[in-house]
Order: sequence, then structure tokens, then C-alpha cells
Amino acid sequence: MSAAAGRADGPPLVVRDLTCRYADPPAQALAGVSLDAAPGELVAIMGASGAGKSTLLRCINALVPSLAPAACDGEIRLGAQALLGAEVGRLGGRVAMVFQDFEAQLFSTNVRLEVAFGPGQLGVAPDEIAARVERTLALVDLADFGGRDPSTLSGGQKQRLAIASILAMEPEVLLLDEPATDLDPIGRRELYAALEGVRGGRLVLLAVEHDVDPVVRADRLILMQEGRVVATGPAAALVQDVELFLACGVRPHDLAVLGRRLGCVLPLDVEGAVAALRARGLPAAAAACPPVEAPPAPPASGGAATPAAGAAVAGRARRASPILEVRGLTRVYEGGTRALDDVGLALGAGEFVALIGQNGSGKTTLAKHLNGLLQAQTGEVRLAGADLRTLPLERIAREVGYVFQNPDHQLFAATVADEVAFGPRNFGLAGDALAARVDETLAAVGLTAERNEDPFLLRKGERQRLAVATVLAMAPRVLILDEPTTGLDYPQVRAMLELLARLRAAGTTIVVITHSPWVVVEYAERALLMRGGRLVFDGALDDLLADEPLLRSAAFEAPPAARVARALGISARTVDALARALGAGD
Amino acid sequence: MALSLYLDHPSWLHRRHPVAKVLALGWLFVAAFLLDHPAPLGLLLVLVLAATASARALSVLHQMRWLLLPVFVFTTIIWTVFYPATADGPVDRWVAFRYGLGMALRLETFLATGFVFLATTTIEEFAFALSRLGVPYRAGFVLTLAFRLVPVFLDAALTVRDAQRCRGLDFTTGNVATRIARYAPVIVPVFIGGLRRADQMAFALEVRGFSAGRPRTSLPRPGMDGSDLLLLGVGGAITAVVVALRVAGIGRLVAQ
Repeated sequence: MSAAAGRADGPPLVVRDLTCRYADPPAQALAGVSLDAAPGELVAIMGASGAGKSTLLRCINALVPSLAPAACDGEIRLGAQALLGAEVGRLGGRVAMVFQDFEAQLFSTNVRLEVAFGPGQLGVAPDEIAARVERTLALVDLADFGGRDPSTLSGGQKQRLAIASILAMEPEVLLLDEPATDLDPIGRRELYAALEGVRGGRLVLLAVEHDVDPVVRADRLILMQEGRVVATGPAAALVQDVELFLACGVRPHDLAVLGRRLGCVLPLDVEGAVAALRARGLPAAAAACPPVEAPPAPPASGGAATPAAGAAVAGRARRASPILEVRGLTRVYEGGTRALDDVGLALGAGEFVALIGQNGSGKTTLAKHLNGLLQAQTGEVRLAGADLRTLPLERIAREVGYVFQNPDHQLFAATVADEVAFGPRNFGLAGDALAARVDETLAAVGLTAERNEDPFLLRKGERQRLAVATVLAMAPRVLILDEPTTGLDYPQVRAMLELLARLRAAGTTIVVITHSPWVVVEYAERALLMRGGRLVFDGALDDLLADEPLLRSAAFEAPPAARVARALGISARTVDALARALGAGD
Repeated sequence: MALSLYLDHPSWLHRRHPVAKVLALGWLFVAAFLLDHPAPLGLLLVLVLAATASARALSVLHQMRWLLLPVFVFTTIIWTVFYPATADGPVDRWVAFRYGLGMALRLETFLATGFVFLATTTIEEFAFALSRLGVPYRAGFVLTLAFRLVPVFLDAALTVRDAQRCRGLDFTTGNVATRIARYAPVIVPVFIGGLRRADQMAFALEVRGFSAGRPRTSLPRPGMDGSDLLLLGVGGAITAVVVALRVAGIGRLVAQ
């Protein structure tokens, strides 16, 4: 039930011919956007980075232009109240917003106080605040956490707390700006379940999303490109338009792509799609055959021809002479938390490994042991046979590169070229050799044209590639990347993953920590699954995808295509492989 | 990283009204400031320790021993050594030692009282008390935000340091100036990240009605009760006795 359910319908949200131009740096963010959203509706907004989605939300709740200098024109109304150009404070909480960064929107030392903050600012009577706190915490399933310090909650719980703290203000419009981006699969599921709970009533819900899966449940979908609305319609129908999605820089739904390859329209839920395919006589007897896994990212040279073949080659290389070997690795933090528990593995040359598991399962702790940032308490980590504890960190860093999740954590230089040169210069490279290394690296990540730019003025996708370049410039044999696709749009994610595929083809071992199932199934051939500090699976990805109880226990959900394939008894994990197995042409 | 000293358990001190606790804290600070003789200062500290123990908050003093012990030892030694000579003759080392001990006990009383206050009072309660005592709401809120942000920035700084170590930045060799210069690749990302976060927080605060301009309210709070008044009375009485002793010139090591 909605926080405001049971009341009369509220006013509609109307946006007309909205334009917005930022002053510094100059950029036309919106170029004539119009939309209507009725009370009770969930409207999803999608588009590539720079499409104007966030600016649209910020104009609606008056953060732009009141707090960010911009020239805006047009009209935004909530019922009779004009929103464009209003002071945020004067809106009295009628329009509220949940941001992507859950850390930046929680201020209190206690969950209950956090929820009470907004109503308190609006002067709501104390007894009514208490009632709202209880009601909204129950709504987002946090009723038992009232006394907790928000900093001790998981990411999903923090984001639900942020939603509760907004709902307690009883807004008429709730804006969500990519609220699930930083969450693991469990956190996402919890978040969407909470949103389902608040849908309806007099609340207008507008959600910006990168991931198409949750969007199919929206009442309406708006696709944006370069500051304009290019399409709007019922979400379930619009999601079927694969070309439109690709043109807008948004990853299309697996089952929409599959339907298009097969020349039909498939339901967007796995069960429905399986039933529809069976009704069409698929898979034909010949289709239910052994796996036909097409290579999504063909190696440029020197690599294995397909991920499956790559796994076999890498497996042999791993057994013969592993680059990194972990034995009996256990780490216990102060307070007794067992972050790693008897972990053992080996990494060979040219592998593409996905390190997956819930937040807090030990992925990052394990990765930091692989490059010496953390030293083994119990057990050992060996690099080409040498115990990491006996090697200086600089030596390890040259062999095992580590790209942190947030690129802004490592960028500081005045130019892109200086940023790339920093690492190799620390290792003694100078003169022509250093210049050549910088040139090579910039070319590899596609940033040659930006070499003299200020790193902080690059777009997020470019900063992410630059962060990879800063580590790549040290020519490591193993490259570990912690959530390298967070906050990137689909073309940027593809560019990043293609870069990694090329590096792997050239012999670099890639270890990617990720929550994104489609990234795992399309690029990795080996999976390491962590749960509660234990490595519960280490092997071929196909074997992991076949073990549903294990996947469920680790809160990992295969992409829709892989689940449909499994339900049909076809061993394919990508849309492409499944379409081929079902007889579709290229 | 946990920087909060707050102990989340019920005790008589946790239950006291925040205004009463802030005023009692002020009384005790004034009393400690007016005393210089180790005997009454020691007695005052014992009272604070007894209150701490009864609120099951001794663990906070144990947690802060890294500060409390060195302050005690060094203050005693420094004042004993540097106690000034007078025109009447050479320094009486026994007086100097007692004075040093008194100064150390005074500082320990300040620190211990403050730590126990933070162990039994949430930052929001502290801000609420300050606003009731006339401090502008925004000033109190900045205090709560600082407690929230300091661990976040420290965490970011450690992550950035690790990221730069992975690029071969060595913080362990070279002279002091070289080492300080090497922190530029840490300071720049932390600073810029801080600015970005400040922007995001400002947006989030505005969305939560921070500038709504309406009279602010909060969850229902019980008013002061008899126990709160007793706490205030005891704190006030101690201070009154100390002031009386001081006016009478009793129990002072150094005449004014």
C-alpha cells in the first residue's frame, strides 16, 4: 500500500517544452522536453549518459536552476504550482528525490531519526512524525531496524532508508535517479520490491534507470537522447523496439532481442517466453543439442577462439604455471568477522575471470590480497612462485594491476598523459621509453585525442577508461578491476569490456569484480563465487549457470536469455547463442 | 571506520534530558577549571568515574586510553619541570609536582567528562540541546554532519592512498619534505571527491526540506524530569562549592 494510499487522487505533473543550458561548462542539457505523469503512475526514463535524464529530474524538483547555474525555459507544473525556477525549500516537500549515491543522502546516527528528519524540517507535529516513521519503515521493510546506525546497513537497506526518509515527507512526486546503480542483485531486488509497495495512490513516480529489467514493470517508458524525448509509450511495448534502444544507447532486453532474432514478439518474463517458444514448436528436436556458444568478443590475436576454448587453454596454462596462487587464505578482522575463510585458487595467463558474490561476501578483500594491498594472515599468496609477503608492493604492482571502483580515487594529474605516465615513472621508466609507453596505452584505451585534457573534465566513461590506462601503463600480467562498469551507459560499458577482451587476447589475465550478470555471461569463461568469505565455486561459467541452487544461495541471477535456455534444455548463456540454437540466422 | 563514541545501551545517564546533560557538563568544566589543587580535582575525577561506571561506559575511557594516559603523564612531567620560579627563591619541586599533578587531573577531568557525555548522548541530542540553549540550528546541524562525514573522508583518503600505492607511489622513503610532497596524489582526489560529495549532500538536504523556512519539529521528546533536575542540582552544587572555596582562598596551590 502507498504511504499516501486511500487519499483522493493528487495533481498531475506536466512538463512543457523544457529547455536547459548549463553555463559552466556550456552544454545544452535539455532541448524541448514535454511529458505528463498522472498520480499513481510509474514512469521510467532511459537514455545514454548526457541524454538529459538527471537534469530533467533536477529541474522538476527545482534543484536546477536554483542550486546549479543554468538557463532554463518552458514550463513545469504540479497541479497549479509552477515548479520551474521555484526555490526548492518553498516546494514544502511536494516533490522529492532519491539519488544514486546512498551515502550522500543519509545524515543521522539512527534510522528512526533519519526518517524523522524531513518531516521535522517541514514542521510536522511530533506525534504525526512518530506515526509516519513507523509507517514508512514498515513500508520499505525496515521496521526492525529503527534503532540502527544507518552506516551499519547494507547498500540496499540504505537506499530503502533513503526512500523511507523521503516518503515520510508525503511527497506528491517521487523522483529516483538511478537508485539501484550501486547495489548488488539482492539490494536491487529489495529496492524494486519496496518501490512496488509505494506505487499507486496519489504518488507520481519517475525513475531514471540504466537497466531495462525493472523498467518493463513501469506504466510508461520515456527514451531520451541528446536532451530530447525520442519515444514514449507503454513500457512493455516500447521495450520490444530493439533498434530504438540501441539507437538511444540503452541495452535492450534479452528477450526482446531474442524475439527479434526469431521474428516474433516474446513476453518479457522468462516463464512467458519459454511458454511462447514451446508454443511455436521450439526448440526443434535438432535445436536441443549440445552448446553452441558464439564468441561475443573475438580475440584480436593470440587468444583462444571462443570463451569455452579459452577456458580450456587457460585451464591448462593455470595448472602448468600459475601466475598467482592462493592457498588456505583466511582473514579475520578485528571483532572476529571472518572476511576470508580458507580460500584457495590459481590464476593462469590469459584468463577472463568473473569474481562474483553479494556485497560483503569477501570479493574485494580477496582481490586486495592478490595485489599485496592486504597481506595474508593465514595461508599464502604466491606470485610466480614467490610469497607476496616477501615482495615490495611496487614489484607486485608491476605484475598485478588493480583498478579501483571509483576512477576519481586515483586521478590527480593536470593532463591525461601525465596521469598515465605517473605509474611507469614511479617504476623508473623515463624519456622516450616512457613517452612510447604512454602513447601505446592511450591508444589501447582510445584516449589519444584527449591526451592534453584535464582528467577531471572527462566524462565518466572516459575517466573509467583512463583509470584502467593508469594501471595498464605499468604492463601488468594480471589486471583486477573492481566494478569497472558502475555508472557507465551501455556503449561505454561495451567499450570498456571490448578493451578488456582485447587485453585478455593479448595474454593479460583479467579478473573482474561485478554485479552485472550479462557482463559475466558475455565475457567471462571462469567464475569465482564468494559467499560469506568462502570461495564456494571456482570453475567454468557454464557449470555455475547449471547449478541453480548455488546461484540462488549466492543471490546471483543469470540473465533472462540464460534462464530461458536452461528452461528449454539448451546449453547457451547469451542471446546470440540461444538464438542460433533455436535456428535463428545472424 | 568507527569514530563515534556513543554506546547504544540504556542507562540512567543515557536517559537524562540532553539539555540537563549539556548544562551539567558545563558545570563540571567550570569547576575543574577553577581548581588547581590535586586533592579536590582528584575527588572530582573520582565522581566522574563513578558516574561513568554506573552508566556502564567505562569502556569508552578504555577505548580512549591512547589519549588519556599520555596526557596524564606528559602534563604532570612538563608542569613539574617547567613550574616557574618566583622572586622568593628557588622552585619548590614538591609544590611543582603537586601543581603538575593538578593540571593533569584537570585535563583528565575535561577529557573523561567529554568522552562520557559523547558515550551517552547522540549527536542529534547534542544538537537539540544546543538549539534549546540558543545556538542556531544550522550550527548544531553542522556538528552532526561533521561526525557523519569525518569517517567517510578518512575512508576515502585510505582508499586513495591504496590506489596510489598500486601505482608505485612510495610513502615510506625519503625525507619529510619528500614524503609530504608525495601526498599530493592523495590530497587532490580526496579534496575533489569531497567537493563533489558536498554538492550532492547540499542537493539531498534541500530535497529534505532543509530550507523550507518553517518552524522545525522533531520526534516527541520527554521533557525534563526530577532526575534531570537532580543532575543539574548536583552539578550546580559542586560548582557553587568550588566557587565558594576559591573566593575564600581555600585549597589553592597558587595564590592569585
